[in-house]
Amino acid sequence: MKTVRQNLLAIPILVWFGLLVGIPLIYVVVLSFMSRDSLGNIVFQFTLENYQRVFDPVYLKVFLNSFLLAVLTGIITLVIGYPVAYITAKLERKQRAAAIGLIMLPFWISSLLRTYGWVILLGSSGVINNILIALKLIDAPIPMMYKFSTTLIGTAYMLIPFMIIAIYNSVDKLDQSLLEASYDLGASRWKTFLKITLPLTVPGIAGGFTLVFIPALGLYFIADLLGGGQTVFLGNLINTLATRGRNRPLAAAFSVGMILLVLGVLAVYGRITKDKVEGLFK
Amino acid sequence: MKKPLLSLVNINKFFGDVHVLKDITLDIQQGEFLTLLGPSGCGKTTLLRCIAGLERIDSGDMLLNGVSIKELEPNKRNVNTVFQNYALFPHLNVYDNIAYGPRVKRTMAEPELQEKVAEMLDLVQMTGYEGRMPHQLSGGQRQRIAIARALINQPDILLLDEPLGALDLKLRKHMQTELSQLQKKTGTTFVYVTHDQDEALNMSDRIAVLSQGRIQQIGTPREIYNNPVNLFVADFIGDRNLLEVEVLATADSYSQVKLGSRIINVRSAAYLEAGQRGMLAVHKDKLRIAAEPGPNSLAGTVLSVHYAGYQIRVEVQIEDAVITAVEYQQSESDYQVGDQVYLSWDDHGAILLPMEAGSA
Amino acid sequence: MRKRVSGFEVFYLSLFFVVLYLPVLSVILYSFNASSSTAQWSGLTLDWYRELFRDRVIGQAFLVSLQVAILTALLSAVLGTAAAVISLAVTKGMQKTIQGVMILPLLVPEVALGVSLLVFFNGLGLPFGHLTLVLSHSLFCVPYVYIMVQLRLAEIDRSIIESARDLGATKWQTVKTIILPLVMPSITTASLLAIAMSLDDVVISTFMSGPRTTTLPVHIFSMMRVGVTPKVNALCTLILVGTFFVIGLNQVISKNSKLRGLSD
Repeated sequence: MKTVRQNLLAIPILVWFGLLVGIPLIYVVVLSFMSRDSLGNIVFQFTLENYQRVFDPVYLKVFLNSFLLAVLTGIITLVIGYPVAYITAKLERKQRAAAIGLIMLPFWISSLLRTYGWVILLGSSGVINNILIALKLIDAPIPMMYKFSTTLIGTAYMLIPFMIIAIYNSVDKLDQSLLEASYDLGASRWKTFLKITLPLTVPGIAGGFTLVFIPALGLYFIADLLGGGQTVFLGNLINTLATRGRNRPLAAAFSVGMILLVLGVLAVYGRITKDKVEGLFK
Repeated sequence: MKKPLLSLVNINKFFGDVHVLKDITLDIQQGEFLTLLGPSGCGKTTLLRCIAGLERIDSGDMLLNGVSIKELEPNKRNVNTVFQNYALFPHLNVYDNIAYGPRVKRTMAEPELQEKVAEMLDLVQMTGYEGRMPHQLSGGQRQRIAIARALINQPDILLLDEPLGALDLKLRKHMQTELSQLQKKTGTTFVYVTHDQDEALNMSDRIAVLSQGRIQQIGTPREIYNNPVNLFVADFIGDRNLLEVEVLATADSYSQVKLGSRIINVRSAAYLEAGQRGMLAVHKDKLRIAAEPGPNSLAGTVLSVHYAGYQIRVEVQIEDAVITAVEYQQSESDYQVGDQVYLSWDDHGAILLPMEAGSA
Repeated sequence: MRKRVSGFEVFYLSLFFVVLYLPVLSVILYSFNASSSTAQWSGLTLDWYRELFRDRVIGQAFLVSLQVAILTALLSAVLGTAAAVISLAVTKGMQKTIQGVMILPLLVPEVALGVSLLVFFNGLGLPFGHLTLVLSHSLFCVPYVYIMVQLRLAEIDRSIIESARDLGATKWQTVKTIILPLVMPSITTASLLAIAMSLDDVVISTFMSGPRTTTLPVHIFSMMRVGVTPKVNALCTLILVGTFFVIGLNQVISKNSKLRGLSD
């Protein structure tokens, strides 16, 4: 028997959340409208200057870089991850469990380690270049580090398990008899995939895309280690402004912009799947 | 009149806009085996859950030994439930499952508890299974443990929610007998929910037939079986032919009715005015087929004969109506399609009912 | 239809797993390289591990990280489980609210979360250190515990909980004797995941670390930025071994509880 009185039990949870998420986020929004004095200290005076600076072409480019990185990460993880999820779902029980284990295991492995692995692989004196030179395929090492694409590889690598699991869940839920019916009616495997499997897994794809897109906006350590700061992304910028730059109002304005970007993606997700955001984490 | 153990007074219950229990009034006597019988969705399980305290009632009252329990939490009511899927605690062994009630209520010290659990296991013939985990037991064994676990609390009433539903037919028959014996042995009042009329008729002292959230009829199995008060009960219990007739006259709970062009005398469940339409409900297995006409008999032609193991189903056309009669193998007669036959029944084999299905 | 995996599909899947684990294996391999450069392989050595154990700063950072991770896991286990269990008792509307509250921190990019906590704690005048680290890490750990416990709770037949009440248990006794034992495997796994996530976090920790409370990932990150050194490889390898040991332990525990019929 549930009574409204029992809702009081939820108060500690709501307080925990309000103190650590609600109020800080509101504070960030407020801060993004604050000014600084000549010493860089925050002054409680309303200004739109921070937002004007966000629209400065230099900073706008940062937004674009981050957006591009997140979108491309989504696309790459989708293209590579979809077949992985699809094949995994077709495996026999035991093999399937093993494959899922292998896909999930990276969640437990330090993300710094996984990023650093690419430094070892891709560096100018790294493993890949060494092998190519030893095989006499090239004379001088190919520069592979410190590019936009390096950051992209690292980010996609980091987040691809999210994409695969999201798609796997929706492929696994597919009613096998639907596919059988389609084969039975004479459709080829390819046609069945296009007409049945793909449309029915759209929610999984949308979920995976969202789960990849959001962190891709802010994983600045990958951009630092693999991109070498050649391309500036939102995460790096916010981090620098907030810690070393001591321009927290501007960092706050960028954070608000980042959150708005996420809200936009969530709105699209909701449109596509007609599901609430909770569905992302099932 | 004995004072009832549990009195349900005008109970109403809503799920949102749906009125699931409508003015339920019912007295349950100490020591009786009462069955709530009805099709799925009739409210029988909801009523059971209300008695257990797992659902709140919206109006009305429940008196256990004369004291209202409607505001009490389930753990404060001295009634216990055997759930349909047994609901044994999967992480506790048989002993700890049975000992659960006394332990949380702190009613017994460990030595006494041990004795009591052993007694319960003996009662349900499961001695020696103390250390087993629920998933190591068969359906029937889980069932017994669920009963033992509930009975150790010495409840005033044991509530059973379709406890045999998950068992196969053979085991179900066996458990019916066992449950009846258990009930007599312990003298505990049983309130039993089922949609299975055989179960209800076999085990109960009294049956309450529910439909659409309302009690249609309360009575002994014999009363319910032979004297349904309305069309719903007549249709739901037993296997009957339902024939529309015109009432010619009614007197002293007997009516003269017209079936097609034939006129016969039948028992009547209610007073029906001359000229009204009524429904004649005739038990299929209480029809007699004869080659010669008798008093109060109906002439017809055999339409079909089906042999179904120990019984024979004969369909007889009487003017516009088709009547099915069920005969058992012992009858020496052998009818052929097209034969002229005469159908008759004993007095209690048929009853005339008003046209309305039941009270909704 | 679960069959007919073509040879090409097997090849694709294998290739994927090779690429997925290649960077990890390289890190492990090069932690044993005698040369300090990845340019050449000059034989096996354990020097880097020895050097690691002599490094006071790393030891200090590891201690901080471990303390923070354990405290975070404890806090998250309590709060996350409480949120999931309390959801059973509250009204539908409140259930939705709790769910929303739990999911929101996962939807805000960590950098934004980090900045918001930085300015907020700064405004409150809280000293940056263990407290701020634990509080901030709990933000992304509590939701995972909540989600995992809730998924487990959803598997438990409602009539099991009802029958506890029916047999005479108070609400609190039901939680203690039935619900908690049944969800315990999920709590354990989720807590271990919380430890792993806390031990791994760079983004939020960068904002939350105090002058003398640098966490291990933050320290490793700064080492990595300076350049490639096999000492980092050795450190990462050790962390990996530690993590896998704990995962293995958890597997054994949950397998045992499965045998006892706790979760099936």
